[in-house]
Amino acid sequence: MNLVKRIYNWVDIRVGTGELVEKELTGYLLPVNINVWFSMGSILLFIFAMQVVTGMLLLVYYVPDADKAFKSVSFIMNDVPFGWLVRMCHAVGSNMMVLMLLFHMLSVLFMGSYKSPREMNWLSGFILFNLAMGISLTGYLLPWSQLSFWATTVATNSVGSVPVVGPYLVEFLRGGKLVGPPTLGRFFALHVAVIPALIAALIGAHLFFLQRTGVSTPPFGLMDTTNRWQNDRYRYESHPGGIPFFPHYALQDLTSIAVYCALFLGVAFFDPYIFFPSTAFIPANPFQTPAHIKPEWYFLPNYQTLKLFPSEFLGIAVQVAAMTFLALLPFIDRGKEKHPLKRPLFMVCAVGGIIIYIALMVWGHYS
Amino acid sequence: METGSRRKFLGICLGGVLAGAGGGLLYTIFGYLAPRRDSNIRRAVSFPATDVPAGAAKFFEYNGKTAVLIRQKNGTVVALSAVCTHLGCIVQWQKDKEEFLCPCHGGRFSSTGLVLGGPPPKPLESIPIATANGTITVG
Ligand code: HEM
Ligand code: FES
Repeated sequence: MNLVKRIYNWVDIRVGTGELVEKELTGYLLPVNINVWFSMGSILLFIFAMQVVTGMLLLVYYVPDADKAFKSVSFIMNDVPFGWLVRMCHAVGSNMMVLMLLFHMLSVLFMGSYKSPREMNWLSGFILFNLAMGISLTGYLLPWSQLSFWATTVATNSVGSVPVVGPYLVEFLRGGKLVGPPTLGRFFALHVAVIPALIAALIGAHLFFLQRTGVSTPPFGLMDTTNRWQNDRYRYESHPGGIPFFPHYALQDLTSIAVYCALFLGVAFFDPYIFFPSTAFIPANPFQTPAHIKPEWYFLPNYQTLKLFPSEFLGIAVQVAAMTFLALLPFIDRGKEKHPLKRPLFMVCAVGGIIIYIALMVWGHYS
Repeated sequence: METGSRRKFLGICLGGVLAGAGGGLLYTIFGYLAPRRDSNIRRAVSFPATDVPAGAAKFFEYNGKTAVLIRQKNGTVVALSAVCTHLGCIVQWQKDKEEFLCPCHGGRFSSTGLVLGGPPPKPLESIPIATANGTITVG
């Protein structure tokens, strides 16, 4: 026996790795008609890991001080070897994370995987989506550029339309009446400590629910596409005769991650400034608002909705209502059918919703 | 007394103590995070009158917010909050037109802060000033 085998045996006898591999990897069976959309989660785990690693690297040189932040980011970009790469990966990665979250949510929507018994999976995922938006918003301020400063001013301002406590809430968020050095301190703590910890905890919960309930059967290529779940007692959804996670689906996961990397590095190398308007290269000046200040693309629908309504309160209320509806969707849509083509009402709402969302985004961009 | 009800009683006491401690903790954390008040104290600011020649504008910080001092072409000096009443961008002074333009959504204000056009719902807040011996005191 060679040394590696002997070490493996030594560990196996003590903690039973062989049994674990059999139970969770090679013997973990997935539905035969599983498809590529089920690998979005692995891509997202990969992106989060990348954000954590690049974020920690940025922390080595980044200085969270209003007088020094912009200089420190310029230093990372211009003087630190490969600093530009680390920063670009972090900034491009944050956009990709939101994009992939949207794809993941859409696949769950269209395959009806949010239906019973997976309500908690949907809810934890929904919270994760909001946390990703939160971590992007707080990260956006950190470079302390004109773009950071004014995008944060406009974003925090919209909280002011909450009835009664709104104005104080804005002041509390900012740590002062206007965005300033106290805001940087708060957002920095949120961005590098509070929200990453929350995201990690929610990823844990999300995977725990998945593990306990079992992977859902996609509705494609089957005769019967109704939800077979019975509301009587706990049952694990197993897939006898299915395909093993390892090596079969693990390879699909790796393939998807590789395709994602191609897309991600394509942007990072060939068009990294796609996410950086010129105001990102000017240090923040609290006395001068630049023209055409716009939030990031994924906040454009919110931004445009806010502008469309005559009162700010209405604009916020509509968005809160839409988000609440989405969060509670599994409790509202209780139909048994999972195939999208057999759910006409759902299809109309979903496609309509996506069109409105994209239209608002494009309109927000050009208005 | 039965041990069951004694345990329940002690449990309730413990719960009460923990709730109190939790409240104290929340209060402490809130106090730590709440915006500091001292930076918001109204403090008068003074400038030499030569800082604002006719038609010019000077931006400065007053009472925790951005304010602007302008001298109209006819010589009148006005101090206003520079925070747009729409969504809080900082207005810019257009010397040639003698009006303020908000770059965010195109709000327009007169040199005395009245809304001339665009989305702003209210005029710019005005700040009292006093001029004496070549010094302008705002606040
Ligand atoms: C533990 C995890 C993380 C750490 C330690 C971290 C750290 C940092 C630091 C120091 C900066 C400022 C430097 C710079 O702007 O280039 C930054 C910026 C940023 N971060 Fe993170 N980050 C983490 C996770 C994330 C995640 C998960 C996201 C998004 C989903 C994210 C989104 C952003 C964004 C949008 C910026 C501004 C990018 C720019 O304009 O350069 N961060 N982060
Ligand atoms: S913030 Fe000034 S016009 Fe909107």
